[in-house]
Amino acid sequence: MSFDALVIGGGHNGLVAALKLARAGRRIAVFEARGVAGGLCARREFHPGYRVPGLWHDTAGLRSKIVDELGLAAHGLTFRAAEPSVLAVTDAGPGALLSPDDVAGVSARDASAYAEWRAFIGRVRGFVRSVLDSPPPPMDVSSLSSLWQLARRGLALRRLGRDDMIELMRVAPMCVADWLNESFESQVLCGALALPGVQSTFMGPWSPGSAINLLFAECAADRSVTGGPAALIDALLAACEERGVVVRTGTPVTRIRTANGCIAGITTADGEDVDAPIVAASCDPKRTMLELLAPCQLPLEVEESLRVVRTRGTTAAIHLALDGPLEFRDREGVAIECARISGGSLDELERAFDAVKYRRFSERPALDVRVPTLEDPSLAPEGHQVVSILASFVPREVDGGWDDTQREALGAAVVERLAAAAPSVRDRIVARAVWTPEDLEADYGLTGGHLQHGEHALDQLLFMRPAPSCAHYRTPVKGLFLCGSGSHPGGGITGQPGALAAKEIVVGHGS
Amino acid sequence: MANSYDAILIGGGHNALTCAAYLAKAGQRVVVLERRHLVGGATVTEEIHPGFKYSACSYVVSLLRPWIVRDLDLPKHGYQVIPLEETFTPFPDGRYLLRDADAERTRRSIAQFSKRDAEVYPMFGRAMSELGRQVKPIIDQAPPDPTSFDPREIFKLAGLGRRIGGQGETWTSAHIKMLTMSAVDFLSEWFESEQLIAPMAVSGIIGTFLGLRSPGTAYVLLHHYMGEIDGSFREWGLAVGGTGSVANAIASSARSFGAEIRTEAGVDRVLMQGDRAVGVVLENGEELRASRVISGVDPHRTFLGLVGEHHLEDGLATQLKRFKMRGSSGKVNLALDALPEFTCLPGHGRHLYGDITLAPGIDALERAYDDAKYGAFSRRPFLDIVIPSLNDPTVAPPGKHVMSIFVQYAPYKLANGPQDWENQREAFGDAVIDELARYAPNIKDVILHRHVLTPWDLEKTYGLTEGNIFHGELSLEQLAFLRPVPGWSRYRTPVRGLWMCASGSHPGGGIMGAPGALCAQAVLKQGAR
Repeated sequence: MSFDALVIGGGHNGLVAALKLARAGRRIAVFEARGVAGGLCARREFHPGYRVPGLWHDTAGLRSKIVDELGLAAHGLTFRAAEPSVLAVTDAGPGALLSPDDVAGVSARDASAYAEWRAFIGRVRGFVRSVLDSPPPPMDVSSLSSLWQLARRGLALRRLGRDDMIELMRVAPMCVADWLNESFESQVLCGALALPGVQSTFMGPWSPGSAINLLFAECAADRSVTGGPAALIDALLAACEERGVVVRTGTPVTRIRTANGCIAGITTADGEDVDAPIVAASCDPKRTMLELLAPCQLPLEVEESLRVVRTRGTTAAIHLALDGPLEFRDREGVAIECARISGGSLDELERAFDAVKYRRFSERPALDVRVPTLEDPSLAPEGHQVVSILASFVPREVDGGWDDTQREALGAAVVERLAAAAPSVRDRIVARAVWTPEDLEADYGLTGGHLQHGEHALDQLLFMRPAPSCAHYRTPVKGLFLCGSGSHPGGGITGQPGALAAKEIVVGHGS
Repeated sequence: MANSYDAILIGGGHNALTCAAYLAKAGQRVVVLERRHLVGGATVTEEIHPGFKYSACSYVVSLLRPWIVRDLDLPKHGYQVIPLEETFTPFPDGRYLLRDADAERTRRSIAQFSKRDAEVYPMFGRAMSELGRQVKPIIDQAPPDPTSFDPREIFKLAGLGRRIGGQGETWTSAHIKMLTMSAVDFLSEWFESEQLIAPMAVSGIIGTFLGLRSPGTAYVLLHHYMGEIDGSFREWGLAVGGTGSVANAIASSARSFGAEIRTEAGVDRVLMQGDRAVGVVLENGEELRASRVISGVDPHRTFLGLVGEHHLEDGLATQLKRFKMRGSSGKVNLALDALPEFTCLPGHGRHLYGDITLAPGIDALERAYDDAKYGAFSRRPFLDIVIPSLNDPTVAPPGKHVMSIFVQYAPYKLANGPQDWENQREAFGDAVIDELARYAPNIKDVILHRHVLTPWDLEKTYGLTEGNIFHGELSLEQLAFLRPVPGWSRYRTPVRGLWMCASGSHPGGGIMGAPGALCAQAVLKQGAR
């Protein structure tokens, strides 16, 4: 059997790319190293009878345009009618409840400031999304066409009006702490809002450049997928099957083969050679270009520019199986699906970050908490719950190295942090699973255990992601494309890198 | 009218003096009003201990624009700079790094930590000088305004874009990295040994409230490679007679063009007539009037202090309050009976003549930053030391020495508020001396006099709000067309008749003179219309 293109990695971006190419009439095979497709979005049974619908848990960034374009609704994908509110947890008191429209539990001044802050996001959203949803702007300004592309973006920016344009340019390089402190007096609110700005980065809220991450996340957020990340994968797989995409799980790729400087195909771990003129890799760019690609295929400076891509994982995943509900203090009996525990202030969140600078995990980590069983009770036995937690900050390398003792200590620190806000949780834990960045690297093939395939930092975004020579999904090797989170617009569940890469492949090779 | 001028300059810092000199040279009637008994602002030499001349605040010269030196004929007025060629960094393990003008000696010194780094070092220097050359025009002109629809502005912006983006992918990417990365990450792309990275990275944090690992600290590294003395790149130097002599030379030049300079003439407020600044009222009640009032003090003090919030539009006051001052450094000046003896390199060799940087490691410096983030001075601070008397005997009695120690971090806002510095000052001084004594134990025995400046003192004595030595953080959102407030980066302000000419405006702090000179150019251009 021969294929027009091979996709490495069956995560959501790999599947989106595969499906989009298949819909353009290509014969496609997807190779997934793990036993199941989905990557970080794959459903996972972490304890017999208890499952999480993916290691990532936020699907609000998935682009509905991609869903429509790929006809995923026909395969069962639906969006939730309403977004769950997020509980901003404090060590004392009931905390604040955030929704895209308003906030409860803070002063009247902060409530109106929140409305103004959201209104600003609302005004710039269109422009920011247009940046996130198109290929990165060109870096080289020597040609007329690239100048024209830049000018068009410049005009779009100007259309925001002078004040919003200036504000956007001012905020982008800022640190998230300064940005939020300018608006709000409640540290609980600031701490909770700041978390998406620093999650998965090597930055604390006082690090410049963190504001743009929050801005991107807020502008991208739309509707969540019913059933979480795994439901997206189910729909993608069903659509792939319908379009004749071959998805081979349990088949790691060990080599990307070239002949005469062009892509020839791949070799799997079993030694099988599969030929195709195009390979689209959704695994991270370092793995793709520095490990899978046969040596000496890249110009030295390109190789060097990829070697220095920062992929320092700082997030761990912890899953809890509970024999009863997760109940937050002062909110007993209220079902809370999402909570952010960042210590109740920006400084506490910063302290959590400080630890990774010294190769330690934070003893008071910041937690991004989800209770997926509230939406889908079938993930656990009746009456039981699962809790999915992303904990920051946890380094890929700890002093002394990761071992079971360290892993358990991390798990205990996370539970303690959660128990401070939800005291009854301790007595309800049936099982606990901990994935350190090292575990994530080993299990999911993420270089550095980095969930975003490379840090979201000012110098690793747009036409710098992952490196200038391959920021537009093409690489210096003819026929090799990047289609995962390591490319613009980056990590998280968006589908956008896969879709933009597929478009580039189709356009570049005639449809 | 005897007390009516073309321009009144508030504050006698080096930028205001520069601005005054240019205006006077163009035939304007100008007066500079300085609150203290001497001119210079933070560019002063002060004999605080008899016989010892401290460069009390600012202590090295490098960025003073060569065209200003020429235009104002400064050498004739006593401006003379001795280059600092060595950078010496002792380490806790008894080793040391010494970088100087001798490339081979520097290579050997770096090679004891990493042979690879020793080979890469000169390549790095060449790359940085080239980067510096490409962006240098930016600091010599008013920033383009991307919000303007004036075709000239768009043209200027496009020109800038071509400068940065038109040199090919590698250089563009280097510029972006430089502008946005942390000093440690940026240097780690080139070097592997911490003993080289840490002392190089510290130039990225001087004067800013950021750590070595904070994004946005790499670009200040470039300043090191943009400095010019007598037209040669990447050199720092000491002004003969202390940094005050730079200000004195500019003042003398200004006077020679007819500028009037008054000391002990503190400005109490800007005199407003409707929405227009028409003059100033001095602390003694005297009124002076001028067609333009030009402020050489920082934006906070100018607008929120001297003009007054009630004269500002709502949005402007908010923007000014958002403009981050945030002092992060202090200064300790010492009169010494004898030179320090470093355990790792005894004797009084060339290593004492240049820059002595106590930057023992990345973690250590990050810890120093962490202390400050949570409202305390660093228990183990970063120190940047020079001993000017070795190069310039005029600043100390024969056989004696002055030592200038720049200290970071010293946050203005201590956990118990800035006024707590009154209680913490000596403990802070002790922490500095203790840190130095770890490397040069004899220091405690040779101190004749100690002068400690905290951010609180920098505010009280030198008028720097929150003790910020750059009149506002040099962070990305406070640079170029955003400095000091968006849309008012061209030295004019939203208050009619009021202009800004100091470090709070583009291109920012350091003894550069550029804001003062560029402001004068803008004033003259406007007058000519």
